[in-house]
Amino acid sequence: MARSPIAVVDGHVRHGWEISARAAAAELTLRDESPLAKVVVRGPFAGSVRSRLGVPFGRIIRTEIPDQGPVLVVGAGPGEWLVLGPVGTGGGLVVALEKLLSDTGEFVSVVDITHGRALVRLHGSAARQVLAKVTGIDLGDDATPDGSALRTSVARIVTDLVRDDRDGAVSYLLHCERSSGQFLFDQLVDAGAEFGLDVTGFDTGPGTVADGRGPR
Amino acid sequence: MMLLPCPWCGPRNVTEFRYGGRAVERPDPGTTSPERWRRYLHLQKNPLGWDTENWYHSAGCRRYFAVQRHTGTNEVRAGEAST
Ligand SMILES: [Zn+2]
Repeated sequence: MARSPIAVVDGHVRHGWEISARAAAAELTLRDESPLAKVVVRGPFAGSVRSRLGVPFGRIIRTEIPDQGPVLVVGAGPGEWLVLGPVGTGGGLVVALEKLLSDTGEFVSVVDITHGRALVRLHGSAARQVLAKVTGIDLGDDATPDGSALRTSVARIVTDLVRDDRDGAVSYLLHCERSSGQFLFDQLVDAGAEFGLDVTGFDTGPGTVADGRGPR
Repeated sequence: MMLLPCPWCGPRNVTEFRYGGRAVERPDPGTTSPERWRRYLHLQKNPLGWDTENWYHSAGCRRYFAVQRHTGTNEVRAGEAST
């Protein structure tokens, strides 16, 4: 059984992971999504990798990887992409991505980092105010519209910050090194307390991956 | 707060970066003398005024780039690409 770096409340085992069965009714929620498959792809900044994955640095796209189903591809850095998929698809995604990029003639590396990183979703209309307390980024719609991705310091932790609005509300994915996951989570819980933030379980709330459904 | 203009990420707080030293020309290790190599590695000028420096965006794109910084006022402007 796999475990998230973030302590689970009301834990039970599903998809081979210990996940939280908690269901928060609050409008502003924080959810541990670390069980989602996470794969990092590195290659040249502006070559075939970018065109095949379909997204440049700084943006995200929901797409399908052949045989693997829906994924969210994040242009995480110059020449660096983060692919998020349903739980348990990490190994399959690596094989499928290597195949997809094998004949580009470019030097490409594909690595499954599922168990090396933490991933959380901060969701709700007050999410912007919560984040503004712990990061220096301009979170306004002009500078950071829906679908944008960047890496910065969040609560002093190096974090991939992805704006991915769901169900008509502002929503952010935050992705950091596994060893910083609990700390980042606790900092967000603390920052969100004044806005009524509640922690919700993995299977509840807005969909996580490309098709809008929850993890399978 | 001091902002540095990352060519990839835009202006960011200086705390996201690591100083990479003055942007000085690296001698060819195959032909340089030990004295010149030692000077390159260990002896740095500390001028007052505009200087070109390398910075590493450790909390962002993880790339090196150069900026020009006035060492007296901390005024910063975009510099030549890092070598
Ligand atoms: Zn940068």
